[in-house]
Amino acid sequence: MMENAWIIPLFPLLSFLFLIVFGKRLRAVSAYIGIFLTFASFIISLLVLIARFGSPTYKAEGIWLTIGDYQLTAGYEVNQLNALMLVIVSLVSFLVHMYSKGYMHGDGRISVFYAYLGLFTFAMLGLVLSPNLLQTYIFWELVGLGSFLLIGFYFYKEEAKAAAKKAFIMTRIGDVGLFIGMILLFWQVGSFEYDEIFAAVSAGMISEQMITLIALLIFIGAVGKSGQFPLHTWLPDAMEGPTPVSALIHAATMVAAGVYLVASMFPLFAASETAMMTIAIIGAFTAIFAASIGIVQKDIKRVLAYSTVSQLGFMMLALGSAGYVAGVFHLMTHAFFKALLFLAAGSVIHAVHTQDIEKMGGLWKKLRVTGPLFLIGTLAISGVPLLSGFFSKDEILVSTWVHGHTFLFWLAVVAAFFTAFYMFRLFFMVFTGEARGKTANVKESPGVMVIPMLILAVLAIGAGYVNTPWFGTFLGDWLTEGNQALGHGHVEGPAWIMVVATAVSLLGILLAWLMYGKKTIARDWFSAGVPTVYGILANKYYIDEFYKMTIVKGTTAFSRILHFIEVIVVEGIMKMVAGIISGLSKLGSRFQSGQVQTYGTVAFLGLAILVIFFAVTGGYLK
Amino acid sequence: MMFPYYLSLLVFSPLIGILVLVFIPKVKEPFIKLIGFLATLPALILTVIAYIAHRNGAELSELAEKVGWMQFVNPEMAGKIYSIDYELGVDGFSLLMLMLTALLSTLAAIASIHIKKEWKGYFMLFLLLEIGMLGVFAAENLILFFIFFEITLIPTFFLIGKWGYFEKEKAAFKFLVYNGLGSAILLIVIMVLYARTGTSNIEAIMSIMASDSDHLVVSAGTKMGLLIALVVAFGVKLPIFPLHSWMVEVHVQAPPSIVMLHAGILLKIGAYGLIKFGMGIFPDQFQSLAVWLAVLGVINLLYGAFLAFIQTDFKKVLAYSSISHMGVVLIGLGALNAAGIQGAIFQVVSHGLIAALLFLLVSIVHERYGTSDMAKISGLAKSMPIAAGILLTAALASLGIPGMSGFISEFMAFLGLFKEMPVLAAIGCLGIIMTAAYLLRAVLSITFGEAKRENTEVNDVAPLEAIPAAILVGLIVLIGVYPNILSGSLTSTIETILLGMGG
Repeated sequence: MMENAWIIPLFPLLSFLFLIVFGKRLRAVSAYIGIFLTFASFIISLLVLIARFGSPTYKAEGIWLTIGDYQLTAGYEVNQLNALMLVIVSLVSFLVHMYSKGYMHGDGRISVFYAYLGLFTFAMLGLVLSPNLLQTYIFWELVGLGSFLLIGFYFYKEEAKAAAKKAFIMTRIGDVGLFIGMILLFWQVGSFEYDEIFAAVSAGMISEQMITLIALLIFIGAVGKSGQFPLHTWLPDAMEGPTPVSALIHAATMVAAGVYLVASMFPLFAASETAMMTIAIIGAFTAIFAASIGIVQKDIKRVLAYSTVSQLGFMMLALGSAGYVAGVFHLMTHAFFKALLFLAAGSVIHAVHTQDIEKMGGLWKKLRVTGPLFLIGTLAISGVPLLSGFFSKDEILVSTWVHGHTFLFWLAVVAAFFTAFYMFRLFFMVFTGEARGKTANVKESPGVMVIPMLILAVLAIGAGYVNTPWFGTFLGDWLTEGNQALGHGHVEGPAWIMVVATAVSLLGILLAWLMYGKKTIARDWFSAGVPTVYGILANKYYIDEFYKMTIVKGTTAFSRILHFIEVIVVEGIMKMVAGIISGLSKLGSRFQSGQVQTYGTVAFLGLAILVIFFAVTGGYLK
Repeated sequence: MMFPYYLSLLVFSPLIGILVLVFIPKVKEPFIKLIGFLATLPALILTVIAYIAHRNGAELSELAEKVGWMQFVNPEMAGKIYSIDYELGVDGFSLLMLMLTALLSTLAAIASIHIKKEWKGYFMLFLLLEIGMLGVFAAENLILFFIFFEITLIPTFFLIGKWGYFEKEKAAFKFLVYNGLGSAILLIVIMVLYARTGTSNIEAIMSIMASDSDHLVVSAGTKMGLLIALVVAFGVKLPIFPLHSWMVEVHVQAPPSIVMLHAGILLKIGAYGLIKFGMGIFPDQFQSLAVWLAVLGVINLLYGAFLAFIQTDFKKVLAYSSISHMGVVLIGLGALNAAGIQGAIFQVVSHGLIAALLFLLVSIVHERYGTSDMAKISGLAKSMPIAAGILLTAALASLGIPGMSGFISEFMAFLGLFKEMPVLAAIGCLGIIMTAAYLLRAVLSITFGEAKRENTEVNDVAPLEAIPAAILVGLIVLIGVYPNILSGSLTSTIETILLGMGG
């Protein structure tokens, strides 16, 4: 089965090509084509995963580009990590395709929407299958393209235009890091192939400093894609895209690509202590930083967006703490519960036509299915015991502690507390209390939207059981099988960590309940008590403003300076050239005065010069 | 398939069209346009046949032809006869350029449907320009090369000056002054080489120079001087900063169909000359100049990109974008290794296709909106969804999205430079970000946003406009997805160059 894995990304590609050409005529039928083709991808991915359980890694390649003595190849590979990712990506993509049938119902450009979804899914699956860094980079850019197109789907909105542009350029800044790192690595190893890179690393062919430099450059790429500080600001703005897109791209798959990249190049990162430390610090900082912003946001999707940034920070923290399994495990569980949360949020938005949580409330009774599903997602992300998020977050905390990052461990614990708090703040404000907006026409979403959420809810509850300290660490053992560089399948840690994790998440929920559910604590005690801090958080630490003042303004100013040079110097040279030529012409034309005396003088002078010349040299210039 | 005088027929085939046009009354607009288009086809067919034959293993040397042209005795050296022969020939690189020229000429002829007046004169000059361009790439003789090089100037001057926009005359004169000076310098170089070596055959000169390690024929200093003169002469064409201001005007003022050829082919003659003559005739001197070329390349790349970032006219954005993209060619040449040179050649082809596509779209949009001012056009995605889609595709190709040709050339050029000068290359990478910034700024402001009210009543792309666009997009994607399709025929060219450099 694994030799057929190349076919998996081709289905969505077919969907893209077909819909971009014929979509206009097909209109609503487009949705069925997209859904069917991604379903086919999912089925084959599942078969490939099952096949991978029983047999070793499969790899096939062909020559793609010859450069001098080097032959660059293209192909595909099925190892543990990407077999797992294939299923996650194709499943979430399929569910989002299905959900969009209801959510985008009646949109005149639905065929374009499905075409873009197909392009994105193709690129994401291609990224996962890549056996070498160059191919990864190619698909890495293409997923960015898919994301860009879908963020800008409502192209007539100025906000969407700005968000799409911002997402593209900010991630490109990160991509350049990856680009440079990739090329430097190539000149060290002589190949882009992962296995040859890892062989060179373990053989000590590359110097310590070079590995650190390359690893950090590649990590910059991951920072851009996964919305880590300081390149995170595009991700919340990306919420301008349709909500199903936020679920697929900006929660479950593409933004996790940065984590996936670090995971798939783990042996390289693990060889540099500095790089690992940087990843852990950036991850932990992003986790708590984004969570603190999430506490005060008022837009349902933005809260979820900051939550995504924060959770990706957790994953990075895990990887930086040598917790390979923990990082990948959380990537998987997060994909399910965050996709669920976004789809449920979409269902809410679909019902009340606003994203402002101040205008929602009391929806529990109106949305009898969405409400409980949203609650499941909220419980899972908060780390409430027995749901998937609980197990994976616990694994991250254990890895951090065992690796000796005590300070980062406590940062992560506080971030976990914030997470539980802001998620339940969101839940209570949307679903409990009095309705604060027009809710007369609020109706539950259709079945085509509910079924994907149900499936994700089941996974959000159950996906954690593949890797628990109680029932066995099947996932971890399998992921690290036969590869010592990835560490152990399971890291033993002190039992109190689990108690602490449970306690902080329950405390967070309790505080949220007291403030927004029972309302025994005034809602504005924080915003009124410390308005400065509240202001900073509400304005996201003024980072957007800072970038605007420095980078954007700086670039424009620099361009103006160059423009000045262009006008003064470059045009000046040209004017000078033109001036010399026209000056010479004028000089020449002065002789054409029509005065016979002048002509005679010139002729006589010329003759005299020639005669002297002949007399002296004999006629030749030597 | 190869018959005698194959290349001559190829180069001069547009002449048939000129002759036919002479006998057609100048008011028969559709007929003239049809003839103009048909006359570009023979060259296209012949280049494609030659390319396919070459891919299937045919030797390109079979195509070489030589006819005695003129001879004269040098009174200084009795008995030695100087001759200038009519010599044509191709290698993998020049065959590729011939194919690109023939293809873009055909597509530009289609795009010329929007020409509003004096079609007869327009197409006669257009076909003459094509002869010049084809001849440049087929010439195996420096003097013949120069003649064809000059032939391209004259029709271009008139095509800009007569069929261009508001300030067309000024642009045409700027074009002529700059390129005239470039030609003059080129002529000096050619004449010195000819006088010293006694031949104008390019390969003969190359072998004489290669065996002239003791600098008996030409002194070392003169060689360096000649190479610098060559860089200046071709630097005007490419263009290299600060010799570029004429081409900005041409981009803005010339009719878009001519800019397709100007940006697509004429600028590339500069790159072609640098590779073929600069590297080929002066390999040792080129090596010591390489660092400076790479530095100039990075300056071009960044300078063009930053200036493109603040332009308000879309055509000016594209003009500075061309400067920026030609920087990539210089970067590749400066790297002076297989990856760099191949990247430079790929960039020549790739930018030719992409620039042609972008100016095809300029002509489409200008035809409907009467302007290319970005403040006056918005919401194209609403009023002309297909045109907007193609425009976005072209912009993405230009900013180097993988899967399209621009990425491959950029990647290889940087791959090459990182091996030789990593710090400079890292500075150059800033250009990758800036390219995305200025192209998205420009293209999104045209395509996204609300459609202005007066803009809504326009027709989307007509089939006759869509066909050339589709062909260009297809080729751009083909090269991007499977780049080996080009690199195969370039291997021997690049090996020869590197061999000249001493391995």
